[in-house]
Amino acid sequence: MLTPYLIGLVGLVLVPALVTLGMSVTDYDLLRPPTWAGLNNFAALLDDPIFRVALLNSVVFALVAVPLRLLLALGLALLLHRRAAGVGTARTAALLPTAVPEIAYGLLWLWLFNPLYGPINQLLRAGGENGLTVLGRTPPQWLTDPTSARAGIILMSLFTMGETFVVLLAARRALPRDVYEMAAIEDATGWDVFRRITLPLLAPVLALLAVRDAVASLHFTFVPAFVVTDGGPPPYATTYLSLFVYQTGFEYLRYGYAAAATLVMMLLTVAAVLVQWRLIRRYRRFYQV
Amino acid sequence: MTDGLVLDGVSAAYRDTTVLHEVDLTVARGELLVVLGPSGAGKSTVLRVVAGLEPVTAGRVRIADRDVTDERPGRRNVSMVFQSYALFPHLTVVENIAFGLEVRDTPRRLAREQARAAAETVGCAGLLDRRPGQLSGGERQRVALARALVREPDVFLLDEPLSNLDLALRAEMRAELRALHERIGATMVHVTHDQTEALVLADRIAVLRDGQVEQVGTPDEIWRTPASSFVARFVGSPAMNLLPADGPLRPRGDAPTLKDEELLEIGFRPEAVALDSTEGTPATVERVEVIGEDAFAYLRLAAGQQVVARVPAARRPDRGATVRLDVRWADTHLFHAATGRRYQP
Repeated sequence: MLTPYLIGLVGLVLVPALVTLGMSVTDYDLLRPPTWAGLNNFAALLDDPIFRVALLNSVVFALVAVPLRLLLALGLALLLHRRAAGVGTARTAALLPTAVPEIAYGLLWLWLFNPLYGPINQLLRAGGENGLTVLGRTPPQWLTDPTSARAGIILMSLFTMGETFVVLLAARRALPRDVYEMAAIEDATGWDVFRRITLPLLAPVLALLAVRDAVASLHFTFVPAFVVTDGGPPPYATTYLSLFVYQTGFEYLRYGYAAAATLVMMLLTVAAVLVQWRLIRRYRRFYQV
Repeated sequence: MTDGLVLDGVSAAYRDTTVLHEVDLTVARGELLVVLGPSGAGKSTVLRVVAGLEPVTAGRVRIADRDVTDERPGRRNVSMVFQSYALFPHLTVVENIAFGLEVRDTPRRLAREQARAAAETVGCAGLLDRRPGQLSGGERQRVALARALVREPDVFLLDEPLSNLDLALRAEMRAELRALHERIGATMVHVTHDQTEALVLADRIAVLRDGQVEQVGTPDEIWRTPASSFVARFVGSPAMNLLPADGPLRPRGDAPTLKDEELLEIGFRPEAVALDSTEGTPATVERVEVIGEDAFAYLRLAAGQQVVARVPAARRPDRGATVRLDVRWADTHLFHAATGRRYQP
């Protein structure tokens, strides 16, 4: 029964992982046969300023974007879990950006971010004079200013939290109604209800989604950085680990080096999962049945 | 006596279907009123309307002489025990009990102290640090009760709190609930579909049918002078026998004077049937259920009607046997056949 799955797992995950592991200790450029390099690749990674920037970018992105995405999804889920006029439309709107193919989504934002005719900056300039905002500031140069570009990629990632939103929506709707009625009888305020009931009851789901998002954040930076900013603006402002690996391997043909970076990425994922797994286990004892 | 709770012509609807029709109910302060009725009669809706969880479409709700019809649930000073108990799964027992106090800004230490006291009152003081997931049904029930007790509400609302317990525990909790009510003397409205529970617990019972109050009275009144054939048949198990008054069965003794021509039905409880007379109406025994010392004989009259009789198990008739059944007028109730209301001679 499990055979097809096992074949897939071995062929598509385990073998490539082992090949990656093998390649990471070699120098290989597709043309000449690989030569043994030992841990040289890893040592080189430590000294590689571009790799360090990419690592830092990835970590910062995860630390900022993951909580923001979760917060946004949670807020929308709590706002839209009741039946009311327009809620269906709003739910669809919240989900829609996630359904857009990634490349199309990237190209769309390329247009949105355009400093001159992009809608975002046109909006920001509304009411201001001489191409400045109302407050007299220059609108962000999304594609040329390093900080703005990083913020832009995070902004892009916020709108693709549809899956997280759907999961939280389902989780919130599955919470027992009588518990909320109980709270209403006790005259608990909205904040008390959120803090004392909703948040703790959703905590296991939130923790799970945080793990998932943290792991995925290493991947979903790739297309935006590739399509919208191409890793720039200088100095490597939006070069994330995934893009770094891609460029090292497929553009500079340094497969051994790229494999070593991939392994570091994998270790980072494992570390993130472990940390959050421990957090979840602390919550688990609350829900013994 | 001042009124603890008054429903004045209250109607309520659920998704365009009216589930309460102009219900009038008065609960005296310190009284335990049991709302009794079959499923779908609107019993729970009565509680939810009192608690403010369901809006009224007409009428007023007054609690402790205060009109609360337009107040939100938290402002009505009621506490409720849900059928499901509605305990917070992530909070310990003491946190659950103290919840209502803490969200009302009682200092934590004081809230915990009062919670402990409430837990002692209902006998769950040993569970304070556990979570609901670690409790049995009966223990959860006690915790829910303690949570309702910890404040001093004007009315306690209990929504079938015993229905999830097994039989022995239910009987035990029933007695405890009654004792608790006598001890704290609070106004309570207790909803149930269990007639035994109603008869044991209540100061007064309100029988509800299809969103309308069928009868309000003490357990004795409900049992001895049911206001309608519905009440008569709903309270008592097996249900009261109901036959056309001009039918096959002629009770013994002095017949009441029947003044009008209207069709009447005659009702009598299984206990009122005697099977050992020499005269009386012949019937065939279709089936006999023995429950310990008692036996219920299901009889079929020649005219086709079924009658249930309770007899001592030792003297039960055999299946298929022919018996003569006898009822005294004094043990019968008369109802209008058309409306089901009690006939007043």
